Amino acid sequence: MKEEFSIEVKDVRKKFKIYYDKGNSLKEKTLFRKRNKYEDHWVLKGIDISIKKGEAVGLIGRNGCGKSTTLKLINRIMYPTSGTIAVHGRVSSLIELGAGFHQDMSGRENIYTNAAIFGMTKDEIDEKIEEIIQFSELGEHIDNPVRTYSSGMYMRLGFSVAINVKADILLIDEILAVGDVSFQKKCFEKLQEIKSNGVTIVLVSHSMGQIEAICDRAIWLEEGEIKEEGKPSIVGTHYNSSMEAERLGKEEKREQKVLEGGFADKSSRIGNGKAIYTKIRLGDETGKGMKTLQMYDKFELYLEYEMLEQVREAVDFRICIIRNDGTQCYGSSTMGEKQERYLGKQGKISFVIDRLDLLPGRYRLDISMKLRDGTILDYIYFAQEFYVKEKKECIGEFGIFSMPHQWE
Amino acid sequence: MNKIKELYQYRQMLVSLVQKDLRGRYKASVLGFLWTFINPLLQLVIYTIVFSMIMRSGIEDFYMFLFVALVPWIFFSSSLVGGSMAIVTGQDLVKKIYFPRIVLPISYVISCFVNMLFSFLVIFAVIFITGFGVNLYALLFLPIVMVIELLLALGISLMTSALTVYFRDLEHILGLVSMMWMYLSPVVYPMEWVPERLLFLFHLNPMSPIIAAYRQILYYKKFPDLSTMASAVVLGLVFVVLGSYIFDKLQKGFVEEM
Repeated sequence: MKEEFSIEVKDVRKKFKIYYDKGNSLKEKTLFRKRNKYEDHWVLKGIDISIKKGEAVGLIGRNGCGKSTTLKLINRIMYPTSGTIAVHGRVSSLIELGAGFHQDMSGRENIYTNAAIFGMTKDEIDEKIEEIIQFSELGEHIDNPVRTYSSGMYMRLGFSVAINVKADILLIDEILAVGDVSFQKKCFEKLQEIKSNGVTIVLVSHSMGQIEAICDRAIWLEEGEIKEEGKPSIVGTHYNSSMEAERLGKEEKREQKVLEGGFADKSSRIGNGKAIYTKIRLGDETGKGMKTLQMYDKFELYLEYEMLEQVREAVDFRICIIRNDGTQCYGSSTMGEKQERYLGKQGKISFVIDRLDLLPGRYRLDISMKLRDGTILDYIYFAQEFYVKEKKECIGEFGIFSMPHQWE
Repeated sequence: MNKIKELYQYRQMLVSLVQKDLRGRYKASVLGFLWTFINPLLQLVIYTIVFSMIMRSGIEDFYMFLFVALVPWIFFSSSLVGGSMAIVTGQDLVKKIYFPRIVLPISYVISCFVNMLFSFLVIFAVIFITGFGVNLYALLFLPIVMVIELLLALGISLMTSALTVYFRDLEHILGLVSMMWMYLSPVVYPMEWVPERLLFLFHLNPMSPIIAAYRQILYYKKFPDLSTMASAVVLGLVFVVLGSYIFDKLQKGFVEEM
């Protein structure tokens, strides 16, 4: 090949339409015009990348920065909104492994179909098949139907096919996590070998370690633009320290909220932090100490939250009362009661029990916000501790709750 | 030119998709591959009963008159209706990996074409068993007519498969179109029966000369009209070129639309 560059990306911009509610049929397109409203979202805002033949380049950046989109554009799965991309040579991709695998066909037959999708001819596959089977370490399993494979075997087979395609350019998206450690090591060595054969490699990864080990150059993308490019070790250090600073900032903000919010000292929280509880109040008392509640009194819990990152899905608010010996006494959740609640930028939630029938003792409150799929936004253990004071008429009762009763 | 070269590079994919389609089509059914033969035979029986016993057409050997037109028609209509879904059903692949997208509709049409070839085995068996006989010289034109029809079906499928991605109703609309189209083509009746004032419709219909040519070769055992054949070849090529052009324009947005 004469070209000096194998990939030239020039001033590429990419826009996605984000539909609020998408319809593809005639009825939906004409009758419900409003539903076809969309927002433009620019994922790439003018990117220039030139990659020399035989060079290995790593793309880094946080989620949504446009690195996977860039890879898809180079792979021609998508096309840019403006700008040009020139790719010289045959491309193979380790983006989706095992694309087009047929469950009922054997591993061997699937090698043929899968390799054919990469544009290999029958002769080329015949030539490579032993190497592919050997690399996959599937041994005699190769003639069993793919549906009997474990997910590890499945991935190994997909990887072996993709990496054995005779290509000039190899695109890789976050998949060096295939199989066990020894297989990973083997993949890694294979990549080194491929690289030394003069194949151009573009690698997308979160792991700076992988990028430093393989790549000659790293490109850091942020919000659709190139923030920095250069030696992987240098760019990586900058990237890591920026990520660390941001994480600390986030953490600090969360810690601050805990201090101000009136949560118990023992409280601890987990969750992705997209939304957090900022304040807790039990009854009319505030302050951090142990609260004392009177049995049979009203139980009033007031919570405040703040949404730090956009959450569009319905959110499940949940509280749980736990006795100090670990017994779960009572819990309730909004989604359990079929309520669809969505978060605002800030908001308040209250939870009221008209008559608190808990027997005297020490209790704690756990509070959480989750999504339907189980993703935890915020979960505070020991958000508050309280003591229930006895009533004269129920001295001698034991268990968890006081219940109306008669002895005759 | 580059596109053609690339398509050639991906020939193995085309072959394996066609194989998978033919093998997979009747995989879980008891009669399996036999359905390829049973389907056209049953249709033939129904149409023959209707048109030679109930609505008597008075056409000699009506079953043969119909059969040689019906089998090519089934190929065309299945490419028209099924081909329109080629990209949508292949979306898992399209979204994940690069390959010339045009491979999908082409492979679908080819597998329908192969199915038609199998049905032709039945036609020849019937011809042989009934002693209907063939004109061997006229038969030489048969592959040419088949290729012309293939080009036409391909061109149309390229357009519809790409359009369906953006507009899903097309699949259902095409089901209706194919039904109307059949009755506007000389499949169950001869061209001569068409009234003068409707004839223009049949001249606009690219399937009329193709169906007529099949019948000319196999039923009348004569050479097809060469000038209509020549114009059909041109028309077929125009459809393929136009189809690939439209497909190429539309394919850039496939992934985002699905």
